[in-house]
Amino acid sequence: MSDAAVLNLILFLPLLGTGLLVAAPAGEPGFVRRLALVVMIVQFVLAAWLYARFDSTRAGLQFETRLPWIAQWGVYYQIGLDGYNVLLVMLTAFLGPLVVAGAFTAIAKDEKLFYAMVFLVQFAMLGTFVAQDLFLFYFFWETMLIPMFLLIGIWGGERRIYATLKFVLYTAFGSILMLAAVIYLVWSLQNTTGITSFAFSDLVKSRLPLDAQSLLLAAFALSFAIKVPMVPLHTWLPDAHVEAPTTGSVILAGVMLKMGTYGFMKLGFPLFPDATQLYTPLLMALAVLSIVYGACLALVQDDIKKIIAYSSISHLGYVMLGLLSLDLVGIQGAIIQMVSHGLVAGGLFLMVGMIYERCHTRELRAYGGLARLLPVYSVFFMILTLASVGLPTTSGFTGEFLVLLGAFRAAWPLHTTGDDLPLVLAVVAVAGVVLGALYMLRFALAFLYGAPRAPHQPFADLDRREKSILGLIVAAVFALGLFPDEPIGKTELAAKSYRQLVTASRLPGDSR
Amino acid sequence: MISQTVLTAMLPEHLLLLGLVAVIALEIVGRGERAALAVAFACVAAAAVAALRLGLDGYAAAPFTGQFSVDASTLLVKAMVLALALPVLLMARGELPDGEFAALLLSSLYGVCLLQSADSFPTLFLGLELMSLPVYVLVLLAYRRPQSAEAALKYLVLGGTATATFLMGASLLYGSGGSLGIDAFARALATNDGLSRAAVVLVVLAFFLKGAIVPFHAWAPDAYEGASVPVTAYMATIVKAGVLLAVVRLFGRTQLATPMLEIFATLPLLSIVWGNLAAMRQPSLRRMIAYSSIAHAGYLFYALLGDAAGRLQAVAFYLLAYGLMNLLAFAALPAAADDVARDRLDNLKGLFHRAPYAALMLAIAMLSLAGIPPFPGFVAKFLIFKNVMAAGHTTYAVLGLVASYLGIYFYLRLLQFMFMSPDAPNASAAPRRRLALTASVACLAGAVLIAVFPGWVIAGF
Repeated sequence: MSDAAVLNLILFLPLLGTGLLVAAPAGEPGFVRRLALVVMIVQFVLAAWLYARFDSTRAGLQFETRLPWIAQWGVYYQIGLDGYNVLLVMLTAFLGPLVVAGAFTAIAKDEKLFYAMVFLVQFAMLGTFVAQDLFLFYFFWETMLIPMFLLIGIWGGERRIYATLKFVLYTAFGSILMLAAVIYLVWSLQNTTGITSFAFSDLVKSRLPLDAQSLLLAAFALSFAIKVPMVPLHTWLPDAHVEAPTTGSVILAGVMLKMGTYGFMKLGFPLFPDATQLYTPLLMALAVLSIVYGACLALVQDDIKKIIAYSSISHLGYVMLGLLSLDLVGIQGAIIQMVSHGLVAGGLFLMVGMIYERCHTRELRAYGGLARLLPVYSVFFMILTLASVGLPTTSGFTGEFLVLLGAFRAAWPLHTTGDDLPLVLAVVAVAGVVLGALYMLRFALAFLYGAPRAPHQPFADLDRREKSILGLIVAAVFALGLFPDEPIGKTELAAKSYRQLVTASRLPGDSR
Repeated sequence: MISQTVLTAMLPEHLLLLGLVAVIALEIVGRGERAALAVAFACVAAAAVAALRLGLDGYAAAPFTGQFSVDASTLLVKAMVLALALPVLLMARGELPDGEFAALLLSSLYGVCLLQSADSFPTLFLGLELMSLPVYVLVLLAYRRPQSAEAALKYLVLGGTATATFLMGASLLYGSGGSLGIDAFARALATNDGLSRAAVVLVVLAFFLKGAIVPFHAWAPDAYEGASVPVTAYMATIVKAGVLLAVVRLFGRTQLATPMLEIFATLPLLSIVWGNLAAMRQPSLRRMIAYSSIAHAGYLFYALLGDAAGRLQAVAFYLLAYGLMNLLAFAALPAAADDVARDRLDNLKGLFHRAPYAALMLAIAMLSLAGIPPFPGFVAKFLIFKNVMAAGHTTYAVLGLVASYLGIYFYLRLLQFMFMSPDAPNASAAPRRRLALTASVACLAGAVLIAVFPGWVIAGF
């Protein structure tokens, strides 16, 4: 089987899994769970195989498939891996089995529908990452909404309906304007060059006047910034996270939020370079605002899920900062930070789910001294906390450090020419790291130390299933922290092409 | 020679007529109740196949020059409309007196087919009336509640108004241009004198009335709610298709320009906004679908803003996706003893736990109508707005898209009821109706086909 076929198989395996679930006998939840897990594991193994075969010295797409879909509009089913998405595909495939395994005990009703929806989300997320055609990208991007709507709405907490409607209506509003922008972009490409194409590689050749670029960037950015989410478009996130079942939170934090930053990197900024240059100060300020504001809010939450939800806003601010720095190190750091946040926040949400299954409350005040009650749990929790803070040897350090390094490297030359804003923002972002340590350590301190107390005692420490899930996540966190060279190397050419696309002006009439 | 052309070109119509005669004959000999639906189904299916066959062969002819002509795309459109009527016949079993229903449906379908081939205003008028008159009766046919009579009367009066307006417009056109051919309309659209403009506005108003465009939409919710489920499905899909396709034919190759452009953008835009907003507050599925269909009529009329070349494609594909999804929803709607209770949204609460298949089908239909991928409604909506944008009406396209966003909520609300709410208090598992189930499976298969191969289907028209 060719490598391209394997990539297609990875993409469509969840869909196949959905079909198998529909055919599965009713009333046998155990079978349904095992089936879901097996499909996800197969998917991960295939993804790992492709990851190993990914050639980091080759620019452009690898394992590419290109088939006409709606030929008369120039819409192609075009997928492939490149430095932009290879790590994110790997992250998605890695979290898949863990998400499924993490739901085994938590989900007790409508299991078939539940795992079918998990599969559909997985399908849509992978599709969004591997799509190389704007129509296809949008198609997958929107497809993601519905299974997520049902996941939160059916299996969520008390205010689940409110939270899920808010999530969908927020996201859909961003998407509808992006759709308008997509159509306009393709149509103007057709008008100026005569090519009718949705392919990313053709669209980055479009030349648009600055005002058109600005409006289009605004439409794309609205959609992506809601997904990231960037302050002030973040208000759906805490509700969605708090009300979602553990699985939903892990999918949201682990992968879905990265869709927004990935969208900026793959589409938003490279498609409209001149507008991006113009609005970089504003976007950078919003990124730093997200870092600080998210951290401040995380500092005062009493709901443990909310702490992690707000920390996500803060951590994804670093990703945006790295992307906007346009420094090679910063861009690569941003990609690593995406993966790191997916692992760490995903792991933390899984851990919150595990304690919630035992104690049925998310109130921070209800807990204390878990280090004595649940020693194994506490060890894992401490590791993930430190990774979230960015302790060296963990993945969090690699990501944040590279981003900040990149931000300073980009800001310094500007400072010498009299533009102080980037430097000020970089300094404030460093302060965000301190805040990050503050809220996570406050959380861990109240959670793990002090007088032992927790509702619904006695309870057992982590069982083998839970240990293996967390063990794998922690292993990945350390791997990314200790041996970052290999994954960073895979992103290098993509980072270069991204920087080149964003820095080259593409106004009409310019010649490059 | 002439008779040969008449035979071939009007083969779909002849088959419908044959069915009509057979159904009436069966009624007379007293076997109508059992056989009528089967006969009607066979004839409609045969007509659809005939139209498809001729259309794919690229057949074109004008058996009555200046009155009636067919070409490949006309025939394919007819095939589509006739095929959409098949699920309606399937789901009608046991809902209505079969003989009357079959006869009325066949004559209405004859009108729809005639509309697609009309070359002159008299033929157009004939088609419109032949399509509409049986529907007035169909609305009344399920006399299960007093509202049906009120709804039918309302529909009849407003339909009559539309007819009068249409005739007035046509006579003004004749007065200004001296011709009754439908190309007189396109000529009048391009000229600027008062008489032509008045004629155009009157004709267009008639179609707005028939298509339920705001502010001429008030009849639709009552008529949809008062009719029985198969009739509502028929009105929402095939009658709407007939009207819209006739408008596209009427417009021909003309490009809209100011000030007609503003009328054609503003009223449909209002329909989208108002249909989507009002749908949020409806207590019954049929009323909700009525408002949803007002919004969808808005999208469809929006297609007229696009370039003439792509209009028929966009409208036909949209009608196909929209029709399949509406039919899917109505076919999957579980039966109940009480017609009023059947589609109360409150009674659909918790449906997933009682009837998972029905709930999933309704969910697919709703999401497709909302225009959310991967369902075919998305590609259909995309096609329309792409054409509007490509014709240079960027602002209108963006406004239309934003207005379509308003519609997402009420479709999701139905999903919320079916999947996330506890069971309705007096809910009971509905008996399965085999034919309706077949209809829903057929609609689903069609939807999957056009979702996976949209390009192939679009290229067909």
